[in-house]
Amino acid sequence: MENLNSPQNDGERKLPFGIKLPPKVVWTRRTKSDLRTGILFLLPWLIGFVTFTLYPMIVSFYYSFTIYHAKRMPEWVGLQNYKDLLTDEKFWQSLSNTMYMVVIAVPLGLFASFLCAVLLNLKVRGQSFYRVIYFLPSIVPTVAGTILFIWLLNPQVGLVNTMLARIGIDGPNWMADPQWAKPALILLGMWGMGGTIIIYLSGLQDVPVSLIEAAELDGANWFQRLWYITIPMVSPITLFNLITGMIGMFQYFAQAYVISGGDKDHLGQPLGSTLFYSVYLYQNAFQYLKMGYASAMAWILFIIILIFTLLLLKVSDRFTYYAG
Amino acid sequence: MASNTPASPLNRNMASDPETDRRSEKASSRIAQFFQSIFSHGMIVFVGLFFAIPFLWMLLTAFKSDQDVFHSPPRWLPYDNVRVEVNGQQLPLYTVKTEQGVKQLALLEIVEGNGTFIDPTRPAEKLEYEIQQGTERIAEPIMEVSFRWQNFPDAMNRGSRPGVGASFWVYFKNSLIIAFFTIVGTLLSNTPVAYAFARIKFPGRDILFVIILATMMLPFQVTMIPVYLFFNNTLGWGDSFLPLIIPAFFANAWDVFLLRQFFKTIPEEMCDAARVDGASEWQIFTKIVLPLSTPVLATITVFTFLYAWNDFTGPLLFLNSPRNFTMALGLQDFQGQKTIVWNQLMAAATVFTLPIVIAFFFAQKTFIQGIKLTGSKE
Repeated sequence: MENLNSPQNDGERKLPFGIKLPPKVVWTRRTKSDLRTGILFLLPWLIGFVTFTLYPMIVSFYYSFTIYHAKRMPEWVGLQNYKDLLTDEKFWQSLSNTMYMVVIAVPLGLFASFLCAVLLNLKVRGQSFYRVIYFLPSIVPTVAGTILFIWLLNPQVGLVNTMLARIGIDGPNWMADPQWAKPALILLGMWGMGGTIIIYLSGLQDVPVSLIEAAELDGANWFQRLWYITIPMVSPITLFNLITGMIGMFQYFAQAYVISGGDKDHLGQPLGSTLFYSVYLYQNAFQYLKMGYASAMAWILFIIILIFTLLLLKVSDRFTYYAG
Repeated sequence: MASNTPASPLNRNMASDPETDRRSEKASSRIAQFFQSIFSHGMIVFVGLFFAIPFLWMLLTAFKSDQDVFHSPPRWLPYDNVRVEVNGQQLPLYTVKTEQGVKQLALLEIVEGNGTFIDPTRPAEKLEYEIQQGTERIAEPIMEVSFRWQNFPDAMNRGSRPGVGASFWVYFKNSLIIAFFTIVGTLLSNTPVAYAFARIKFPGRDILFVIILATMMLPFQVTMIPVYLFFNNTLGWGDSFLPLIIPAFFANAWDVFLLRQFFKTIPEEMCDAARVDGASEWQIFTKIVLPLSTPVLATITVFTFLYAWNDFTGPLLFLNSPRNFTMALGLQDFQGQKTIVWNQLMAAATVFTLPIVIAFFFAQKTFIQGIKLTGSKE
């Protein structure tokens, strides 16, 4: 971050434990007018932040300690919602379904995106055409893509199972089978990973050619160059995509909602295998009208996401290479 | 030894007879390169099928006739009945095994497995044949490859459910309205905020910037319930576009961050020079910075459109009556019906996807740039 080139930047206040406070502000007429201008420019966000983030956060935190059915006033119950959640089987099921996606689908998607990017980075004629083909599905709207996969994976007349049948494989029931519903959704996710591929591709193109050539001179083969140079060089991208992918996956909702056919009693079917965290939260809030309970779930989600993010950042220190 | 291995600077130095070796080396490396390129191409195409086939299947299904959608096994190209005009009616043509041999007859109707046919050469006479005798098909429809464009108007003119009183045209229009105002709000609100974070120095700015970045980590579910109750109950805006549009007018972390990164690349000296000339921050912002920022504004426009057009959860929470549905909501509703008309559903899905694909081909660079900006390390 650039230094503020104003006089107030001189006296940096030092505290024990190396904690630095921002420089003490010397209030002059200039800083006052700057502050006024700054606040005026920030006004859209400041109002939005208070109305759509800060205030709702406080309120939802309060709701999480109440029983609240939206019609009557919230009734304070202390930690009851959180205690109830601990013994709620569906809560644990939704959490484990979501963890399945976070732990399997996100890394798998990243790995596949990376491989696709490596393919698209090869010097091959018609490469720009292939790049468009790989990318295009990622801009298909979620609802359209999900419906398309319901059709493709139709157990009886779907394209996938009839193609499998042609090579002698008896295809699964996909979204109707508790074992296969999540893999079906993972396939859908991988179909639309074009954005991640593009990010990896631009990362691959940023790897200095001199580095690759030097390794080549030293006799490193293709795989060694990939493993010792390319993968470390794109590790910041991997970390970034891992974190954003994980945060997104914890909030996985639209696809699961669409495969239920919009039937509220069908949400999370078959056998609760697609009851993801956000789906169960939605159910609690808008189907059972347990707004307090749902708020408690939302706060637990926030804390889980925080812990995972910090953990990833901490662990990644050792595995991430930042050039420059 | 050297002649068998692909060209490598190391081997070249060890070669005994440089002249012949270099020639054979060149040849073998060309062969190796040829196979490598075949292999690379093969892999790229093979993986590419995974991306291309579902997309193609959506398009091809959208063009299929009703009989062809459930044809088993599925055929790639859409087929439709061959029709002939008999007595002023377009009737499907069948091959029928009759006592006088196989004939081509037009089908009038089927009642309980019995078909009423007309011979196109003798239109006055009606003939009755069973469609199936035991396992043997007596009458088989004659099909030809034919793209049924009619599916598109059929899909757009219908509603997501029978009797909803709104068609997919209405959903399409609603999606456009919401996307348009979301874009306007996003551009108007995020630019000044990003400018302040990039160019105005004032006490507390950096703390506020950390706060705005921190909001990126906040899952939407935490604020969802109070925001829903605020719009729905406090303001009474339920079942309207306002809860979907209004928040766009109050800036968001992602766009502010993207814009700020861009604004910081505009030379500070230009702004300073204007300041010396007595320009206000607002003038610098509107007269210097914004005109130089068209690429990033284009990126924001495209991505906001993508987001608003795609959004499912927002409309699901706030819109109830079908006349207010967006395309995403309408399509989901259509898919939830007991009997799904797949060709029309895929036609509607295609129409839903089309604006984005068109936008992509017109602004390919903007798309790719935006993805790199929002998605790469920082």
